[in-house]
Amino acid sequence: MTQRMCAITLKIPDNAAYTTLTTLQRLGLPVARVERSEIWVVDDAGDADDFAARMERNETLFNPNKHRLAVLDANAPRAGEMWIEETGAHAPHGRRRYVGWRLLDRDGKPADRALLREAAERLLCNPAIEKAHYA
Amino acid sequence: MSKRIAVLVFPGTNSEEETVRLLRACGGDAHLVHWSHGKLLPGFDAYVLPGGFAYEDRIRAGAIAAHDEMMDYVIEGARAGKLVYGICNGAQILLEAGLVPGTGEVRRPTAAFTRNGPVPHFINTHVWLKLAVDPQRSPMLRGLERDALIPAWASHGEGRLAASEAELRALREGGHVAFVYAHADGSVDDTAIPNQAALGCAALVNREGNVLAMMPHPERDGWTFNHPDRRRGNAILEPSGGAVFFRSFVQAVNA
Repeated sequence: MTQRMCAITLKIPDNAAYTTLTTLQRLGLPVARVERSEIWVVDDAGDADDFAARMERNETLFNPNKHRLAVLDANAPRAGEMWIEETGAHAPHGRRRYVGWRLLDRDGKPADRALLREAAERLLCNPAIEKAHYA
Repeated sequence: MSKRIAVLVFPGTNSEEETVRLLRACGGDAHLVHWSHGKLLPGFDAYVLPGGFAYEDRIRAGAIAAHDEMMDYVIEGARAGKLVYGICNGAQILLEAGLVPGTGEVRRPTAAFTRNGPVPHFINTHVWLKLAVDPQRSPMLRGLERDALIPAWASHGEGRLAASEAELRALREGGHVAFVYAHADGSVDDTAIPNQAALGCAALVNREGNVLAMMPHPERDGWTFNHPDRRRGNAILEPSGGAVFFRSFVQAVNA
């Protein structure tokens, strides 16, 4: 088994990300863009070459009409990103799901860790039921 | 003169009509206030947050609504001692706003009504809520008898109370668990809990007793035709069991 990761994002307008952006801005955080994705970490016995194609065939996770999929190199958030993990969730055996939030400033620069942490503590993570992982 | 009760409507709220109707049937001067008219809220004496899916539960249930401008006024009112009552999604909003249990900072939640257990399915089932504190603990509860049983409908996918062990201890020791799930005869055990809520909790109250967050819907058991043992030929709009709590709430508002 090899652990493989991918991010599934909407290619249609993401209203949830937009609402999150406006709420973060209402809180005074210097964020100009929010990207939301579902992060899947799976134990995979297949070939790396067709991992993306196999994930895209899973109609529960991926709808080609509205999603795009990117294979991730590392099991960690990318620059400007945090992963929110639901604690105590009953994840199906062999796979783990996070919600990825990537925050960018007006110049398209990824948010630094301090800003990510503030966004998590003030809105994106309820520590009673979630845990934030940072870039 | 009756005090005025605002029933808040966020985008996605869906239980406002039955809530306002039952409040009025119990003598309350209740009015709907939509999110675009939040500035009217300071003119009201109490706030009720009904059930639904405010802002489509984006991020988490209640998370966005807790930061809505309307909640600025609700938080201000709660601090001034106004009565605030949240039902289902309204309860989730109050937890996300940190008003309940109120053991931390405002808008820094310390607990959540979250995904049901043991399987994370939506439930829609009749339940009984047993008063778990002294009725004097909150003005909203003073119209109830000790150990009162309130009929309601649990209708949620995310109604399980969850918090850290330390927080749960604080909730128990601080008398924050206002209602627990019970059987119809008033007995309490794990089989009465429809969602594996910690402490068997169905409703939380803040330290001051003026903010109450209740997951099940008593307003959906406010008329005889809502009862699971509905009898043939029942007249509609006859207040029944679920209205007991609403009457107590309205009495507290008008006191």
